[in-house]
Amino acid sequence: MIREIARKEFRDLTRDGRFRLSAGIVGSLLLVASLAGFTAWREQAAQRDAAQDSMQALWFGQPAKNPHSAAHYGLWAFKPQLPLSFVDRGVDPYVGTASWLEAHRQNEFRFRPAMDATAAQRFGDWTAAAVLQHLVPLLIIVLAFGAFAGERERGTLRQLASLGVPTRTLMTGKALGVAAALALLLVPVAVVGSALVLSAMGADGLLRLGAMALVYLAYFAVALGATLVVSATARTARAALVVLLALWAVNGIVAPRLAADLARMAHPTPTARGFAAEVQQALANGIDGHSPAGARAKALEDSLRKAYNVATVEALPFNFNGFAMQRGEEHANEVFDHYFDRLWSRYAAQDRSQLVGAVASPLIAVRFLSMGIAGTDVAQHNAFASSAEAYRRVLNKRMNDDIAEHAKAGEAFSYQADESLWRSLEPFRYEAPGLGSVWRTHALSAVVLGLWLVGIVVLTRRSTALAVH
Amino acid sequence: MATISPLLSAEGLTKRYGDTLALDALDLAIAPGEVYCLLGANGAGKSTTINCFLDFVRPDGGVARIGGQVVAQHPLETKKRLAYIPETVMLYGNLSGLENLEYFATLATGARPATEELVAHLITAGLRDEQIHQRVAGYSKGMRQKVGIAIALAKRADVLLLDEPTSGLDPKASNEFHRLLGLLRARGAAVLMATHDLFRAKESGTRIGIMKAGRKVAELRADEIGHADLEQLYLTHMHD
Repeated sequence: MIREIARKEFRDLTRDGRFRLSAGIVGSLLLVASLAGFTAWREQAAQRDAAQDSMQALWFGQPAKNPHSAAHYGLWAFKPQLPLSFVDRGVDPYVGTASWLEAHRQNEFRFRPAMDATAAQRFGDWTAAAVLQHLVPLLIIVLAFGAFAGERERGTLRQLASLGVPTRTLMTGKALGVAAALALLLVPVAVVGSALVLSAMGADGLLRLGAMALVYLAYFAVALGATLVVSATARTARAALVVLLALWAVNGIVAPRLAADLARMAHPTPTARGFAAEVQQALANGIDGHSPAGARAKALEDSLRKAYNVATVEALPFNFNGFAMQRGEEHANEVFDHYFDRLWSRYAAQDRSQLVGAVASPLIAVRFLSMGIAGTDVAQHNAFASSAEAYRRVLNKRMNDDIAEHAKAGEAFSYQADESLWRSLEPFRYEAPGLGSVWRTHALSAVVLGLWLVGIVVLTRRSTALAVH
Repeated sequence: MATISPLLSAEGLTKRYGDTLALDALDLAIAPGEVYCLLGANGAGKSTTINCFLDFVRPDGGVARIGGQVVAQHPLETKKRLAYIPETVMLYGNLSGLENLEYFATLATGARPATEELVAHLITAGLRDEQIHQRVAGYSKGMRQKVGIAIALAKRADVLLLDEPTSGLDPKASNEFHRLLGLLRARGAAVLMATHDLFRAKESGTRIGIMKAGRKVAELRADEIGHADLEQLYLTHMHD
C-alpha cells in the first residue's frame, strides 16, 4: 500500500511541469556548480603545486648568504585543498590559504578571495554546498507543501480518511514518493560527483563523499519530514507554503546570521589591527608587559657571562648574536602561542555557541559537518596554520643555530652559509587531518543533526492528518 | 428487524458543539439489506450522524457501532467495510476514473485489484467505456458518484454512508444512482442515507427517520406511507 501511495505521489510530481522546471533548474545549478568548482579546484591545485615547487627551488637556489638573511627571505606555505573542497569551500575564502614563513613573525594568512569580492558575491558565489543547503530544501518545500494540505483543500483527504488508511502509511508513502522524485535529480549529480572525486582522490575521497552524502541526506530528510508535518497540520496549501517559507528563511538566513552575531558578542575577538597591536606590545615588553626587550637582552647577557665565567659575550664558546636571536625567536614564539591560542580558542568557542542556534536551524550543524568533511573548516585551517608555524620555527632555529655555531664573535651578520644549509631543511609537508579527526571536532554537530532527524521522524509518526475531527 | 443483528447501530449518540446539541441521544439500527433514509432540515444532525460512523466526529456520549464494533475504538477496522459517498465524491482531477478507482481500491483493500475487475466495477456503476479513461477533471457530479459506487463495489463494502448523494443531480442521474443503490442493497449492504429528497426516500428507502434538532422525531417503514402523507408528516414535524 505504501508503494502504491509513493507511486502515485511520484507520478503526480513528475507529470507536473512545475516539478520538471524547478528540478531542472536546481539540478543544472548543482551540476554546473560542481563541475565549475572541480575545474577551479584542479587548476588551483596545479598552481599551488607549481608555486610550492618553485618556492622550494628558490629556497634551495639561494646563493651563499647570511643565514639570518635567508630566514628573512623566508618561503611560502600553501594549504593543500582536498578535492571535496570543490563542494564546500568553507572558510577558505575568508581566512586565506597561504602563509609567508619568515623570521620573527607568525604571519596571518594571505590570499583571501573574500577580500577582493564585492558584497554581492556572497550571494552569487554558488558552490554545490550552497545549492544543497539552500535550494534543495526550497525544492523539497515546493514539491511537498501541498502533500496533505492540498488534498485537504480539494476534499480528497476526506475520501482517503474514509478508506481506513492509517495516517502513518500515507505519510510514509508520500515521503517516499517525494524522495523518489528528488532522487531523479540528486542521483545523477551524486554519480558525477563520485566520478570527479574518485578521479582526484581515490578511495579515501569516496569515504569522505559518502560521509558528506549521509549528512546531506539526513538534512533533506529533516526538510522533507518538516514539510510533510506542516502540510499535514495546515488547513490550506497556501497556509502551509507561507509557514514553510518562513521556516526556510529562519533555517537558512535568520538563525545562522543571528547565531553568528550572538556568538561574536558572547566571545568577542579583537580586530586585526587591535590583535597586531597587542602582539607587538607583548613582543616589545613581554607578555606580562614588564620585561622590555632591552632588559631581557641584558639579563641574558649577564646570565651567560656568569654561567660560562667569561668577562664579555665575545669570549663565549659560541656566537652570542646567533644564540640571542634564537632566544628572541623563542620569546616571540611564546607570545605568538599565547595570543594565537587565545584567538583560536575564541573562534572555537564562537563555533560551539553558534551550535545553540541549531535548535532553530539544522543548517548550522550541517554547515559545520559539510565544511569539516570538505577539509575547509576552521579546525583544519588551524591545523595547517600550526603545521606551517612549526616549520617556520624549525627553519628559524636552524638558521640561528648555524650562526651561533659557526660565526665568529662579532661576525654574526657578515658570516655566510652556503646551499648545504638551505638543503639541510626538509621541504615543508602537510598531511591533512583524517576523517576521524573531523568526526571528533564535529561530533556535537552530528549529534544535533541526528536529534533533528529523530525529532522530525517522531513528529511525522505522531501526525494525525487523517483524523478529521 | 430484531431477528437480524444490525450492521449499523447508534445507541444514545450525543454530540454537543458549544451550547447546541447537534445530536441528542440518537438511537438507530440498520440491518443488512436495509436502506435507511434520514430526513430533516439543514442542521438537524443528519451529517453529524454519518460523521460519527466515519469517526470524523467523536461523540460526546453514546456509541456508534459498525458490525458490532465501536467506531471510536476501532476507527480503522470499522472503515474497512464501509463506503462513504458525499454530495460530491472528491477524486484526483489529473488521474482518469480508472486510475482513481485503482488508487482508492488499493488503499482500501491493501492489494492492487486486477484492472479488468476495476473496469467491470466502473461499467456496473454506469460509466461508459470511453469515460473510464478520461481524466476526472472533466467528470460531471453524477460520473463522480459512479466512481464512488465503484469504490464501494471494489471494496466489497457492506455498509454505505451516503450524505445527500443526489443533491444537484439531474433526475435521470438521480434515478440511475438509486438503481445502483438497489443493486448494493440486494447484495446485502446496510445503507444509511441523509437526504432532502422525500420522493427518493419513499421510493428507495426501506425505512425513514425524520430528525429535528438532533433528535429522531419520527421513524416509519417506507412501504407504510404514501408520498403525500410522507410530505405531510415531514412538514408537520418541521412546523412545531
